[in-house]
Amino acid sequence: MEAIREWQAYAYFFLTVFLVVMLYGYILHLYRAEKKGTRDYEKYGKLALDDELTDAPVELNEARENEKNENKEQS
Amino acid sequence: MFHWLEQRPFFFAVGVFLVIAFAGLIEIVPDFAQASRPIAGKQPYTLLQLAGRHVYIKDSCNACHSQLIRPFKSETDRYGPYSVSGEYAYDRPFLWGSKRTGPDLHRVGEYRTTDWHENHMWEPTSVVPGSIMPAYKHMFTQNADLETAYAEALTVKKVFNVPYDKPGFTKLGSWEEAKKQALEDAKKIAAEMKNQDVKDAVARGEIPEIVALIAYLNGLH
Amino acid sequence: MQNAALEYDYTVAKWFTYLAIIFGIVGMVIGTYIAFELAFPGLNEVFGQYGTFSRLRPLHTNVVAFGFTLSGIFATFYYVGQRTLKVSIAESKFVHGVAKLHFWLYFLLAALMVVSELMGITTSKEYAEMEWPLDVMTVVVWVLWGMAMFGLIGMRREKTLYISMWYYIATFLGVAMLYLFNNMEVPTYLVTGMGKWYHSVSMYAGTNDALVQWWYGHNAVAFVFTVPIIAMIYYYLPKESGQPVFSYKLSLLSFWGLMFVYLWAGSHHLIYSTVPDWMQTMGSIFSVVLILPSWGSAINMLLTMKGEWNQLKESPLIKFMVLASTFYMLSTLEGPIQSIKSVNALAHFTDWIPGHVHDGTLGWVAFMIIAGTLHMAPRFYKREIYSKKLMEMQFWIQTTGIVLYFSSMWIAGITQGMMWRAVDQYGNLAYSFIDTVTVLHPYYTIRAIGGTLFVTGLLMWAYNFYKTMTSDKVLDKEPAFASPMGA
Repeated sequence: MEAIREWQAYAYFFLTVFLVVMLYGYILHLYRAEKKGTRDYEKYGKLALDDELTDAPVELNEARENEKNENKEQS
Repeated sequence: MFHWLEQRPFFFAVGVFLVIAFAGLIEIVPDFAQASRPIAGKQPYTLLQLAGRHVYIKDSCNACHSQLIRPFKSETDRYGPYSVSGEYAYDRPFLWGSKRTGPDLHRVGEYRTTDWHENHMWEPTSVVPGSIMPAYKHMFTQNADLETAYAEALTVKKVFNVPYDKPGFTKLGSWEEAKKQALEDAKKIAAEMKNQDVKDAVARGEIPEIVALIAYLNGLH
Repeated sequence: MQNAALEYDYTVAKWFTYLAIIFGIVGMVIGTYIAFELAFPGLNEVFGQYGTFSRLRPLHTNVVAFGFTLSGIFATFYYVGQRTLKVSIAESKFVHGVAKLHFWLYFLLAALMVVSELMGITTSKEYAEMEWPLDVMTVVVWVLWGMAMFGLIGMRREKTLYISMWYYIATFLGVAMLYLFNNMEVPTYLVTGMGKWYHSVSMYAGTNDALVQWWYGHNAVAFVFTVPIIAMIYYYLPKESGQPVFSYKLSLLSFWGLMFVYLWAGSHHLIYSTVPDWMQTMGSIFSVVLILPSWGSAINMLLTMKGEWNQLKESPLIKFMVLASTFYMLSTLEGPIQSIKSVNALAHFTDWIPGHVHDGTLGWVAFMIIAGTLHMAPRFYKREIYSKKLMEMQFWIQTTGIVLYFSSMWIAGITQGMMWRAVDQYGNLAYSFIDTVTVLHPYYTIRAIGGTLFVTGLLMWAYNFYKTMTSDKVLDKEPAFASPMGA
């Protein structure tokens, strides 16, 4: 019983520390990437606004398009 | 990293699942064995008590009554010694409740009698003026389901090794034996009651819900 | 065939919306009725054994949580899902068929749930009262939803999943996991061949059962009343106001933060019970930490309205949503406060708890579902919303109802908690239990009136929705942002 409890406490502590580090690292990464201009996250906010079927996607899902083309070729 | 996940629904789902499952694993699993050990001398419910417990559940008594005395002086003064984990070892499901619209019942068997319960369930304000509890008159005419209670007792005996029929523990026996015992227990309770219909029903070999419920409540220590 | 203009197909979304309206009214009428029963106990006898407070209370919670709220979640999912993934569900016959089956089975399940609970068939575990045959059916319904969801995602045109979709996926997974573990039970008939065939006994006993139940119970709140409602607000508020979400980055952080922290907080329901101390403490601490990601989302929503606050005055729909996120902030602050051990000692078991639950469910959940359905109505029917004035009135009547509800329950809860522990000069308990009940009569009455106001608002909602469906003010095209409303 004691062994389990000890294991439990260690697992809890280290996982929490690990996740906190991850989270803060991630915040840093987000803002750095945007500052350097490698990524623009805020453009995804448009997803809710331009949501007509006729609106151009922010990024096309290529997997779908490839599949479609294959189907066309078959038929 | 997370952005990568947002474009890959499968890995996204896996990620979410890992993060939410983590808490349950750490919190719940390790204490399971510890918390399921009964305190010394704790007895599994008799058949009649178990049938009464089903009545308690059917009418959701736990919507207004807790069965958990917290370790404060104001609670132990009012309801008796505070609850400990091992007392609940045979409670499937637990009936701690989450709201005290009425008082706690964990040790109600210590300070209420058959007679009191009979009056109270028939007309709560007759014993507690100002009570807002509903009357449960239908319990005096409907019969408790002894067979389902027996099925449950047998199930927990077989599947979870609840110590029915072990030396020094509650006797369950075969369905016929158990039914006979329950009826005897019911007769003792009916003898202390005054409702003639209930007395007649028990004499006929039936067990009204109220009798089973009182057996259960009297057994709460 | 390819050339016929492809359109979003709202069939299933509409069906679920009708159910949400019906269950909303049914569930809250029951709720208001039992609120009156507490104030005027004579009402308990009107419907015999089927009308007592105790029989109806689980029915109320189940109908509002699993009838009203889930219908609202499904309705908005089949709408928001199509639109943010830029795919019409009608593009795949299979996925559309699964979605329709999902609806009908869910409808049947909800109806069976109502009947069985009226009959007193219950496992007694809060928000998991259904017996095993219905549990099995629930699993099937849930799997169907998952199939429809991932089917839709599989054929999406938009590569990136929008914020709302993350929350819908989390809802699906979270509820699936919690529900399965909490409803582990052994059907007694299958083991012994005796008794009622639908009866079962819990796999866990006593303290363990309590632990699993509140791990579930708290998180059912998380994954039914919080996560999918956040999904709604991340779509409907930006769309209705025409403003993109204030910060996408903040939404990322709040999402993962919420996912990680929420599950830990469950044991705050068991403070001062017989579960181990360290667990109670952890439940308490994490509940406080939970303020951060919750407020992250709420603040993100309020900042989305930055510079556009005039819309709050002009549009009742925006009013509903902004007040919803305000109530979300209120209840996510109130919850952690109640989880602090010393506060919990006072608040637990009192009416402050239902008070807390209701400012979340009425102010946040119901308001978001109402706003969502009214936003969808003009898109469903290509008609303008029947009456803006009616919506304004509904907003103010319901807000008054909520305020009456939670303020009376705050006072009631704290009064009750103080009286339970009050002692006289010799250290004896000052009040008998019944004193602490009768003193609540005025507050119970005020609460019931608050409930009545809220139900009145629901009826106005249903009427407005119906008139929108049948109105003759047809729009020539789908409105882009603000929903058009008649006077």
